[in-house]
Amino acid sequence: MIPVVVEPEIGGPPTAPTSGAPLGVGRPRSRFGRLVPNVVLVVSAVFFAMPLLALARFALQNVPTVLLGWDTLFDKWSLKGVTGVFKEEQFWASLRLSLKLAFGTVLITLFLLLPTAVWVHLRVPKARSFVEFVTVLPYMIPAIALVAGIVVIKPQARWFLNSDLSLIPFYVVLALPFTYRSFDAGLKALDLRTLVDASRSLGAGWGTTVMKVLVPNLRTSIIYASFLTAAVVMGEYTLADTLLIESLPPFQQKFVGREPQAGYGVNLLALVSTTLLFAMVALLTRKRDPKRKTFARAAANAALTSDKAQNNT
Amino acid sequence: MTTLDFVSVRKTFGPTVALESLDLSVKEGELISLLGPSGCGKTTALRIAAGFEFADSGAVLVSNADITRTPAHKRNMGMVFQSYSLFPNLTVANNVDFGLRTRKMNATDRHRRVAEILDLVQLIHLADRYPHQISGGQAQRVALARALAVQPEVLLLDEPLSALDAKVRTTLRDEIRRIQTELGITTLFVTHDQEEALAISDRIGVMSNGRLEQLDTPREVYRNPSSAFVARFVGSMNELPATVAGNHAVRVGEHAVMVSQTTQADGSPIRLLVRPEDLRLVDDGGLPGTVTTCTFQGSATVLGVRLDVLDVVVAVYVAGIADLAPGERVEVAIDGQRAVCESIS
Repeated sequence: MIPVVVEPEIGGPPTAPTSGAPLGVGRPRSRFGRLVPNVVLVVSAVFFAMPLLALARFALQNVPTVLLGWDTLFDKWSLKGVTGVFKEEQFWASLRLSLKLAFGTVLITLFLLLPTAVWVHLRVPKARSFVEFVTVLPYMIPAIALVAGIVVIKPQARWFLNSDLSLIPFYVVLALPFTYRSFDAGLKALDLRTLVDASRSLGAGWGTTVMKVLVPNLRTSIIYASFLTAAVVMGEYTLADTLLIESLPPFQQKFVGREPQAGYGVNLLALVSTTLLFAMVALLTRKRDPKRKTFARAAANAALTSDKAQNNT
Repeated sequence: MTTLDFVSVRKTFGPTVALESLDLSVKEGELISLLGPSGCGKTTALRIAAGFEFADSGAVLVSNADITRTPAHKRNMGMVFQSYSLFPNLTVANNVDFGLRTRKMNATDRHRRVAEILDLVQLIHLADRYPHQISGGQAQRVALARALAVQPEVLLLDEPLSALDAKVRTTLRDEIRRIQTELGITTLFVTHDQEEALAISDRIGVMSNGRLEQLDTPREVYRNPSSAFVARFVGSMNELPATVAGNHAVRVGEHAVMVSQTTQADGSPIRLLVRPEDLRLVDDGGLPGTVTTCTFQGSATVLGVRLDVLDVVVAVYVAGIADLAPGERVEVAIDGQRAVCESIS
């Protein structure tokens, strides 16, 4: 399962005037110009959906593979194969472990990478391209190279590598290309220096500035980075298998070997769940806090309180 | 009683000297504008006052207390930035409330203070809006309200009007002055816009290359610039080649012009810097020339006149509507009393 890097959308339109004409203004596009994006969209959708549909037919249709054709398109669909996996005890153990690994990886990634990205943007902007290069290395160097490294250090670090959670640091590294880019895009969209200066001039220390100003304004980036990291962890097979840790992907691999049809059903479920999760992220990051107390109400309450206090005295 | 003093403040960024040795005193309730071109060190001075940068040497004093090494969040300063610096995730009211929360003021007092200050900037009706739902002018008023809400000892304004359109800029400029006068808050205002500085300030500090060239009232800075740089930077200036002809006179072409003082030797070639309003059209006895442009500006007309003898075009202000067209012959007289004589090296 390879996660897709999605450029985060940062909270609301910018307050500063932007240069250039607004979107939609200018020369009307030709018919060809209007057609091309639609064709690309349709081709992409087909490219994305066709393998899933084929997988769905193989996993969920109780029809021998050689007979899968247009005439059997609607025959014998059943969720029985997929639901069978829920009865497997190891499935739940692997899922729990993968979720634990994902949670740990997300936490450590946020804890390490967010301050680093902020620091690089604020204090050493010249180092940005270097940091970007470093963070993209896990993308260029295949996971199998990392595995080779692990094999080398394994005799000396058995105490650490024996733990299921020993995968977390490696997953943090593997997720770097996605997470750093997400933070970087979020920080680029903010007038970071001014916001930090404004916060500090109002008496906020670094802790308050990060928690009250930066984190809320990087909400979208943080959510995307977290989901991308989780997606990397939930889909990573090579490292887990090397360290003999049975997280979800090694379990899936074994399950497919044992029960191919149900196994691919589980894979399909995982893909659909990930897609739905990212759709949910898009919705989540648009939503404003509905419970926000309005100033008018708060000011009225304050006035009431002070009136009461005056009456009491 | 709050005063702000820079005592021999020096700041460098690598090999670049941003501030050479700045000595500046802002009196209680005074508004001083630091005026100068980009890179002259005015924003660095402001950032040092705010605590975002630290001086390499010298001291910054607030009411005679040394705050040179005090971190930004421990100084009681209010600052308004050039770019709209409102926190996008907070409403207008919550933006104003931010500084009060960090000071751990109780909720009732905070709400009252926010209401008061939003009322002062006439934006109480926008309290529940988010920054992206208000205009640029409103955003800067909110930023001003936010800076004032914490009752700062000193207000620092870093080109707060430069991102606004002309009309809003004028309105907000007047509003800043009104509020500053009403609250009597000691204020340092940084701008590169001379009109803004002239209109709003008690005193103007004109800066160039990290040095304070002149610190004086707007009228003095305009009428009696202390250097050729100040003369050129503040207001419009005509530059005429001339020759020194005594302690109080110069020769422009064949015409003698009385000036307040010359420091150069007799016969030295100089550049005479004269404001357009110190040139006037006369019927006889002036420098002859031809009108090249005639620009009507409402209350005045600006004429471009090419002087025959010097072959330079000068700007001449004429009150009201000048009944002249390009190509017409005129004569221009120079009032040199407020002119600056610049040596030609």
